[in-house]
Amino acid sequence: MKHTSSHGSFQEPWWWKLLPVASVALFLAVWHGAALCNPAMLPTPVETIRSLFDMLFFPTTQITLLDHVWASLRRVLIAYGLATLSGVLLGVLFGWSRNFHDFVYPIFELLRPIPPIAWIPLIIMWLGIGEGAKIAICFIGSFIPVVVNTFFGFTTLDRTYLKAAQVLGARQKDLLLEVVLPGIFPNILAGMKVALSAGWLCVIAAEMIAAREGLGYLIVRSMESGNMLNILVALIFIGSISAILSFLFSKLEKVVCPW
Amino acid sequence: MKTLRSRKKSAWWKHVTGVLVFLLIWELSVRLGLFSSQQLSPPSQVIETFFAKLTDPRPDGETLGVHFLASFSVTLGGFSLACLIGIPLGLLMGYYRPVYLLVNPIFELLRPIPPIAWIPIVTLLLGIGAEARIFIIFLSAIVPAVINSYTGIQRTPQTYIHVGQSLGMSRWRIFTRICIPYALPTLFTGVRLSLSTAWAALVAAEMMASVQGLGYMIQMGRLLIKPDIIITGMLTIGCSGALMSLLLTLLENRLTKWGR
Repeated sequence: MKHTSSHGSFQEPWWWKLLPVASVALFLAVWHGAALCNPAMLPTPVETIRSLFDMLFFPTTQITLLDHVWASLRRVLIAYGLATLSGVLLGVLFGWSRNFHDFVYPIFELLRPIPPIAWIPLIIMWLGIGEGAKIAICFIGSFIPVVVNTFFGFTTLDRTYLKAAQVLGARQKDLLLEVVLPGIFPNILAGMKVALSAGWLCVIAAEMIAAREGLGYLIVRSMESGNMLNILVALIFIGSISAILSFLFSKLEKVVCPW
Repeated sequence: MKTLRSRKKSAWWKHVTGVLVFLLIWELSVRLGLFSSQQLSPPSQVIETFFAKLTDPRPDGETLGVHFLASFSVTLGGFSLACLIGIPLGLLMGYYRPVYLLVNPIFELLRPIPPIAWIPIVTLLLGIGAEARIFIIFLSAIVPAVINSYTGIQRTPQTYIHVGQSLGMSRWRIFTRICIPYALPTLFTGVRLSLSTAWAALVAAEMMASVQGLGYMIQMGRLLIKPDIIITGMLTIGCSGALMSLLLTLLENRLTKWGR
């Protein structure tokens, strides 16, 4: 990470590398302290990690932790795939056709500021509490960033490329495929990145409201039974998976879009 | 490619037509039975309910104004706290590497957790009052504020910094006179993101034992099977968010007069 304070030939002191370790240690210490003050309600970090391993390797319930994880992941991936395809399509339509943009974009702008969570009651009324509802909510959450970023790519595209291609005799189809799409590809990827974390957020929210498996469901059930351990384990998983997905996406980005 | 040539002249009628067609399809889909009146309320009904709710506390217990104020104050509280703490923190993180090294691990740990998933822990620590809701909104809204602030600082071109150094400016002055102004556009994008995150978190936060607020109103609409209440709530949230975002953009234009 390029840091403005590290000007030129600035040599980082060795102990700086310990700072992240120190802050994590501090966090764990505060957690442990809080747990000691509330032994009935808040488990210590050690207890939580042990519980995590137990749940992973020695499941006692019929639906294991990994089942929950996979249920959540599955929904996100399906919704994400659909959202990416349709989102890019809509974004390109908005950018490519002025007429389409003028007629349809205001509707999109009207619906865009509504948070995906606010859609949940309506979606549940339409689709019940099955898989479709949860996928639909994640779809909304992921769809919007993809459209916004794809369309934004159009507005920041350098016109010179297009003019150059036209001068060289490119047809509309070629313009689209050879100039525009590669040009906005970084924007599409940026939108897809936001969409991935948005989708993950939405699936947890949707599961907390209406589901029978999944990490969100696990949290809600554990809230009802006062099982703080499960909640913390679920949170750790939610955080870790989100981090892993972001990491994988960054790696993928470098491969797919070197420019 | 027509869109790349701006033709603003006669566009507004297209916008209006598009919206009207949408409203028409919406209205007809309920009247013709595509959606039952229990699943979707036509725009005519929504408008009627909206005006009714301005003064009528039924059926969910409060008027629209009371709900809006309850939600708005909580959102504003969480959002302002998030910016007040997040922006300076992010700016410092962008400029001083030790700060970044210290804060980033905790930040990355807490960042991916959805606002709604914070409810159990926050309820444990802060109960179920307005403070708890403000805290949840704070936790969610601080993320874009911090990230965009430090990204903005990091993007300052080295040339600018070198100019400052050759002029003999101290590290701190370079920070305040060069880096921060350069970071302002990115920062404002972060503030707008923070605002929309705050509104999204609000709906989640109001799922905790509230008796007021737009999110609560939407929940009530679901329980009472009144989609018009739900849609009124949704649109109020959407419009409030959009209006506040517009105000922020106006503020940004005021503050960044040198234009980029």
